[in-house]
Amino acid sequence: MEIDSFLRDPLSRRRFLRTSGAGLVGGSAVVLAACGDDDKTGSGAGSDEQDKADVEILNGALDLELMSIAAYKEGAALLQGGVLQVAKGFLEQEQAHADALVSAIRDAGGTPNTAKKSYDFPRLRSQRDALKFAIELEETAVAAYIDALPKLTKGDLRGTAAAILTTEAEHIAVLRDTLGMAPVADAFVTGKLR
Amino acid sequence: MAIRGRPAIRISDGEADSAQIAEFERDRRRLLRAGLAAGGTVVAASSIPLLASVRNAFAQQSGDIEILESAIKLEQVAVLAYGRVLDSGLLSPRVARVARQFAAHEREHADRLVAALTALRGKPPPKPTGVKDIDAVVEGIGDVKSQADVIDFAIELELSTVAAYYDAHRKLIAAGLLQAAASIMANEGQHLVVLRQAAGQAPVPNALETGDER
Repeated sequence: MEIDSFLRDPLSRRRFLRTSGAGLVGGSAVVLAACGDDDKTGSGAGSDEQDKADVEILNGALDLELMSIAAYKEGAALLQGGVLQVAKGFLEQEQAHADALVSAIRDAGGTPNTAKKSYDFPRLRSQRDALKFAIELEETAVAAYIDALPKLTKGDLRGTAAAILTTEAEHIAVLRDTLGMAPVADAFVTGKLR
Repeated sequence: MAIRGRPAIRISDGEADSAQIAEFERDRRRLLRAGLAAGGTVVAASSIPLLASVRNAFAQQSGDIEILESAIKLEQVAVLAYGRVLDSGLLSPRVARVARQFAAHEREHADRLVAALTALRGKPPPKPTGVKDIDAVVEGIGDVKSQADVIDFAIELELSTVAAYYDAHRKLIAAGLLQAAASIMANEGQHLVVLRQAAGQAPVPNALETGDER
């Protein structure tokens, strides 16, 4: 599918995210299954049940980070010069997020998910396509982290999730600027869940 | 929308404890090595313990109401600070547009937080009114002499805000407040991108934006 029709069509995006194994997306699958519709976050740490819930949420986030890593790698072929350097920096940061999540999952006694062999990305033909798709993935990640945040049972994990999603929001600002858009679109960065 | 500029050179004396100064110096040297700071940075060493005290205030809050009160104060200080620099006449029209946008964002944050506090039957704190209130968060607004000074001051201000929200995430309880805090923290991070670009710095220096980079 061409990137423009991909971006226009919410159904195709949802399908893509589902088939890409990003379980955190959609506000339904992993995240809500893990913790239910709670008004309050958990307090205290360490029960097996809480660890299990955290692992499930963190693995959903890891799926998204792994997909972003694959996307930045694939998109890099279309990028040049300064934009390529920026994307390489972002790729390293997505890798750092994945590493942090893997550690957190192991600390909670879980087994980290691994990357899929391939992802069914939309067809990217130009630098502009690659940047638009990167914004799309970063927006999805921000929304997924915001959705997941209150369900994490430990303060440290919530802090880490907030720090990661703030970095993703910063990526969005840089990518938007590169595309000639206003870097900061709104006073509240909520991303897009689809 | 992005603005360009060059950081000024000003390191003021202060009473920061030695470990903090050492860390600050390491960062400063790293920036210098990278050629990003063009001879120095405007970060006031004396602002570091103040920033630490703001963060401690956040860290010591146990209830959502107290955290909201701290966050409202911080946002209102940011509104006041952006207002002051806009009145200073130091900004080019382009940078002034950015500062106006950021001031409007900070006001929206404060309004949202006040609404959340009121819903919890809390009472909004008194609005900050002067330089002293701004200095309690980040020192130095009275000393800005150029657009570059303003940009560096704004970076410190936004970093302190990000740091405070980062800490708050460990303490906040209500799910909706955590999500609001995250969406605000992310916006402050985006402000940092624009300001860092204006100062000739790397826009996203850290994989984890905790507000500790300076």
